[in-house]
Amino acid sequence: MKLSAPRWLTQGLWQRRWNQAREQSAGTPLEAYYSNTLPDPDHLVDDIEIIALDFESDGLGTDAALLEAGWTGMNSRAIDLSTAHRERIAALDPLQEVAVTVHRITDSAAAEGRPEREVLDELTGILSGKVLLAHFARIEAGFLNAACYRQYGTPFVGQYICTMELEERWFPAPRTADGLRLGKLRAQYGLPQYRAHDGLTDAIACGELFLAQIARRGSPNLKLQDVVMGA
Amino acid sequence: MEIEEILAFLQRFNPFRDLPAEVLGRISRQIEIRYFRTGTTIIEADEDNAHFNIVRSGAVELRIGGTELSHRLGEGLCFGYPSLLRGSRTRNQVIALEDSLIYRLGKQDFLALHEKHPVFRDFFQADETQRLRKAVESLRNARDGNGGHPMLAVPVRDLLRRKSVTFGSPQMTIGECAGLMAEADVSTLPICENTRLVGIVTDKDLRRRALARQMPHDRPISDIMTADPITLPEREQALSAKLIMSRHNIHHLPVVGDTDAIIGVLSANDLLTRLGMNALHVVAEISEAVSPEAVAQAAQKLDQVIVYLVDSGVDADHLARFVSAIGEAAHKRLLQLAEAELGPPPVPYALVVFGSLARQEQAGGSDQDNGFVLDDSYDPDAHGAYFAQLAQRLCDGLNSAGYVYCPGDIMATNDRWRQPLSVWKKCYRDWIDNPDPDNILNTTIFFDMRAIAGASELVADLRSEVLQWSSANRIFLSFVGRAAAKTRVPLGFFRNFLLEHDEQEGDVLDLKHQAIAPIIDIGRVHALAADLEQVSTVERLQKAADTPHLSESGAADLLDCFEFVRDTRFRHQARQIRAGQKPTSNLDPKTLSGFEREHLKDAFKVIKTHLDSISRSHAGGIS
Repeated sequence: MKLSAPRWLTQGLWQRRWNQAREQSAGTPLEAYYSNTLPDPDHLVDDIEIIALDFESDGLGTDAALLEAGWTGMNSRAIDLSTAHRERIAALDPLQEVAVTVHRITDSAAAEGRPEREVLDELTGILSGKVLLAHFARIEAGFLNAACYRQYGTPFVGQYICTMELEERWFPAPRTADGLRLGKLRAQYGLPQYRAHDGLTDAIACGELFLAQIARRGSPNLKLQDVVMGA
Repeated sequence: MEIEEILAFLQRFNPFRDLPAEVLGRISRQIEIRYFRTGTTIIEADEDNAHFNIVRSGAVELRIGGTELSHRLGEGLCFGYPSLLRGSRTRNQVIALEDSLIYRLGKQDFLALHEKHPVFRDFFQADETQRLRKAVESLRNARDGNGGHPMLAVPVRDLLRRKSVTFGSPQMTIGECAGLMAEADVSTLPICENTRLVGIVTDKDLRRRALARQMPHDRPISDIMTADPITLPEREQALSAKLIMSRHNIHHLPVVGDTDAIIGVLSANDLLTRLGMNALHVVAEISEAVSPEAVAQAAQKLDQVIVYLVDSGVDADHLARFVSAIGEAAHKRLLQLAEAELGPPPVPYALVVFGSLARQEQAGGSDQDNGFVLDDSYDPDAHGAYFAQLAQRLCDGLNSAGYVYCPGDIMATNDRWRQPLSVWKKCYRDWIDNPDPDNILNTTIFFDMRAIAGASELVADLRSEVLQWSSANRIFLSFVGRAAAKTRVPLGFFRNFLLEHDEQEGDVLDLKHQAIAPIIDIGRVHALAADLEQVSTVERLQKAADTPHLSESGAADLLDCFEFVRDTRFRHQARQIRAGQKPTSNLDPKTLSGFEREHLKDAFKVIKTHLDSISRSHAGGIS
């Protein structure tokens, strides 16, 4: 799969979705988010505020329950850990067994979490004017969108940078089936191995990969449109 | 909320591991993460710096401003703090050697930690000499506290077996004191005025000074006591007691408290019981050996002594003196055995040793450097054969005992170094008056000399004249100074050994020639310039401190350096011996711990500074 340059720029599709969502958000907590204008595609990446985000869930579908959210503020040069958050989310349904094995989050631990609504209020409250970053960001975009529908009845439209997509676009190479996984890519950049699989660690791990990718790319004056994920 | 991954990382490294978890949790949230690709500059020299840095992964290279030195830092090591502590611009450039993930802490956060936490403060010293001092201290503490054999590190008061002490007063009679000793079953009686120690009496004194001389028993004890005996404060370590006893050949040492009040008497046996096998046992075994073979056999135990003393937490200076005591005993005993066979010497002579044994700085694997200074009544035709044979037996015996033949042939078996006093004087005179720049390095070893057997006054005579000549001859001093300054601190090598990736197979760090010898040279130059009679490097530096050429702090820095590099060598030798290898001064840089690397860097910098300073003050011929 070869991804072309972001199409939303020319097609205006993304802008239409944004406008639509803004109208729907009136009277919801997302109103503030949509009231802000988004960073211009011509903005220098170096000047953009980014939130690296990772959800832990009990599945991959849009109906999956979110178990944990981890995020941290950063830019293209540095990750600012004073803005780091790790929030457990109270489970709505009993956990699927798979998730327990993969994420080592048990029912009782998950039950200690905060209600999804609260966590979402806090997260969307800081997203205004920022760009989201995740590894395989389509998943995070789907989760966030689904959660906003669940809690506010409004879609979430945002700009995402996907480190997996960037890697394929910037540094194409023959790879094995799992060659684009976060851990594999990090190892190639000499980044340390993490215990993995809590939301915050993964968010930081993805943020570090992005720093490494930007450093390797080495081109000054990158613009937002050069890094943002295609629609 | 702490960031677990970062907390877990910090807990693996000094000094963070010593901070409370909640402090580390706070630090984890103050960190900013950065990534630098290989070859990019992380910190520029001579710029303002606002961050303290920790290498999370990868490696960086510090290019130390104003020197050719570079230093490689890997995971868990820190940089960029001296400028924060000094409040000045950066001195060193820092470059990413590998793709590196760096944790950064803002200046204010770093300074707050520095202010609040002593462990943090001790670890991050702006100045390499302070870091070195801390390193030496922590080495000692680590060994004292690590449950090895910290026997020599205990205060003497803990070694005293008797809880109460029996003592007499100067007004008591000899008879009363003898009665008191018999009653208390002690062989040594401290004599005190009130509780202040004024003298000591032993069984031996009673025998020799009273009974044998038929002295009336009603004479006051003050007639036969040893007045003002050597004492040991109770807080002193067992090691000091050991050294004092062996140096003065005494077996009982009064231990005193703060006000000179007697607390007890420490006996050599108390110490021996405590130590088990030890260096002095080996010295005693050598001194009683009945043949050169027996000397060799006893001297083989030197290696085990080194391991034992390293494990006991003995510092490098004391360790070297113990090792030297064994070397000295071997020389003395071999000579005695040879004389016993060949008959008494026809004319007086002295065995003079040069180099490390003269300075009492021997380590494992030392070779021999010696000569005979013969009385001027020496007649080559009549006496030549005797001394040639004596020399042969000594040098062969030493070789068998592990003190291998001197590669430079500085041995009494060499006719040149078996000469009457007047010839030795002429020889030194020639070195001093007509210094040969190509040869001066080969002769400096002769300026560290000590008589260890025979008519030591011959050597004393030679030394005092040599010192007078050399301190008065500025040209000579300039040559020695210049030669010393040429001793290259292993700058080029250092770079390689720190850059593991570029390391050639077979690269070694020669601690003797690259780290220890330069400090010895510095000590010698100061001693020669200031007409100091001291021979050991430590004493030379102590004595030279606060002279125009060497500041008090400069001397202290050099002493720390000397201790650190010698300590590193002894620990390295102990490892070699344990592994069944011969002890050497060459070590594979890969075996150095991060701690050793870090502080060797500091040591080299101090050495370099002082070599430069010597070169400035003496090389011009202006002393």
